[in-house]
Amino acid sequence: MAEPKLRVLMVSDFFFPNFGGVENHIYYLSQCLLNLGHKVVVMTHAYGNRTGVRYMTGGLKVYYVPWRPFAMQNTFPTVYGTLPIVRTILKRERITVVHGHQAFSTLCHEALMHARTMGYRVVFTDHSLYGFADVGSIHMNKVLQFSLADIDQAICVSHTSKENTVLRSGLAPGKVFMIPNAVDTAMFKPADVRPSSDDVITIVVISRLVYRKGADLLVEVIPEVCRLYPNVRFVVGGDGPKHVRLEEMREKHSLQDRVEMLGAVPHSRVRSVLVTGHIFLNSSLTEAFCIAILEAASCGLLTVLPDDMVVLAEPDPDDMVRAIEKAISILPSINPEEMHNRMTKLYSWQDVAKRTEIVYDRALKCSNRNLLERLSRFLSCGAWAGKVFCMVMIIDYLLWRLLQLLQPDDDIEEAPDINFCN
Amino acid sequence: MVSSCLSNKRCTYIHENENEPTRGAIDIHHVIINGSRVTGYARLRWLAFFLVGFAILLGKDNPVRTLSWSCLLSGFFVMIQSRKFVKKESVIIMPTFGIQLETQYLSGKTVSRFIPIGKILKPVLVECVTPVTCYWSLSLFLRGEEQLALVFKELRPSLKMLVPIWKALCAVSGTDQREMMTEEEHVVAG
Repeated sequence: MAEPKLRVLMVSDFFFPNFGGVENHIYYLSQCLLNLGHKVVVMTHAYGNRTGVRYMTGGLKVYYVPWRPFAMQNTFPTVYGTLPIVRTILKRERITVVHGHQAFSTLCHEALMHARTMGYRVVFTDHSLYGFADVGSIHMNKVLQFSLADIDQAICVSHTSKENTVLRSGLAPGKVFMIPNAVDTAMFKPADVRPSSDDVITIVVISRLVYRKGADLLVEVIPEVCRLYPNVRFVVGGDGPKHVRLEEMREKHSLQDRVEMLGAVPHSRVRSVLVTGHIFLNSSLTEAFCIAILEAASCGLLTVLPDDMVVLAEPDPDDMVRAIEKAISILPSINPEEMHNRMTKLYSWQDVAKRTEIVYDRALKCSNRNLLERLSRFLSCGAWAGKVFCMVMIIDYLLWRLLQLLQPDDDIEEAPDINFCN
Repeated sequence: MVSSCLSNKRCTYIHENENEPTRGAIDIHHVIINGSRVTGYARLRWLAFFLVGFAILLGKDNPVRTLSWSCLLSGFFVMIQSRKFVKKESVIIMPTFGIQLETQYLSGKTVSRFIPIGKILKPVLVECVTPVTCYWSLSLFLRGEEQLALVFKELRPSLKMLVPIWKALCAVSGTDQREMMTEEEHVVAG
């Protein structure tokens, strides 16, 4: 096996067997980077009994480090506790670039900090939008400011996300690349026989039933659309705290035969649910990048995309009803196969991987600054915060040197690159 | 006769087999801690001095009685601790019969475990991950047991030392190495 071009360590609290957009992104990106000839290793925390080293498809090596999550799948923040294991993994795997994912991941921030201390190139991808006003967002943004003050490059999944990240972190816009997510179009294909829209039009909703995903809007939109269009039925997949409100709405308006609640839908079954519908409705209040609508469009459902594939609406029930009316009117002109083919060209993980490769190359060309130069970047983070950040980095540096005394770099044995025989 | 020897800062691997290996010849692999006797007793000596000094500091009223009690307790503590310092771990492979795993401590005590050949399903090299580090270990899948059996319970030899032992165990247990993942030459040559 030829020597890999780059050796990338993906770090995040969010990876399989947990399921979501970030987990999907890391997995698909890693697979495409492996196909491009790079070496990719993933580091995440242990999930239940899943701890230690696992190998996934294509030889993707995953370290499930036995640090238990404490809240919302996040590792307990110890600031310096993960330094020894991060150093060991970076040395064992001969990593050249560390790529952290998701602003809400404590493991990601700690790993990026330790990697910068040890002189590695770091790249960060932000997957979500955050606010500025509430207490949680203020603290989150300060942590992000600290993390991103010293990174080489950053990636955001949309232009809106890039604006949001730049404003929250104070990062120079020139360092931020925009690489959209993609969809596995091989998995999300239209049905062989498209369901007829002459008698019944099916609108599919698949999302977590939480406030941010606009579940409250659905409670008002669904009865109104059902009243205006007797031939429309809804299929709602997903679960969450707002599930009770939707059930109450069904009972209040006697829509049990027209609104089907599927509950939580495993991702492997999402396609089979999507192909039963004609229109995909997404009611999220905010989305950095909605992979769900790409999956729906790939299955040939009318949804949010280029002008002729999209009907947009304000997060207001009346406007959403108007948009659904428009979608129903243009439904006969939609060709699912053509939509799928356009999606295959517009969004592909291979394209995302090639663009990410460019970001890695740009990061490797950045000059390696010494500790004093790096500390000057943290001082600009705030009057008091800057000094605190500098102290944190100095202590991290001293701890790293102490670790080098106790266990020199030569004592860390390099792991072989295992060639999987198919 | 010593047929191969590998050494790093922490331990030394010695492979003993006959001059002209015949079928059924016993194969012995040792992993010995470097400078174990000196390092172990030095640590114990410092530990004893520390305990005595600490006790004297606390018992200023009656130093003679405090000193004698602290020496007694320290000696007892050192004796207990010396049992934990490992000097050498060995794997003795007796083809068609079984393998013997031995752990020899500084105190002279030796703990052995014999595993019949029929009980061994497969020897495996496993990467163990702890909250602070990651290392290789050689383990055995045994019939009728859910847990893997560690070949080296106390020591953590390097992968270069474990590979020849793993290969010898594969040969004796009938495991086809070609079924296992192939390793890069990076390991063998490095």
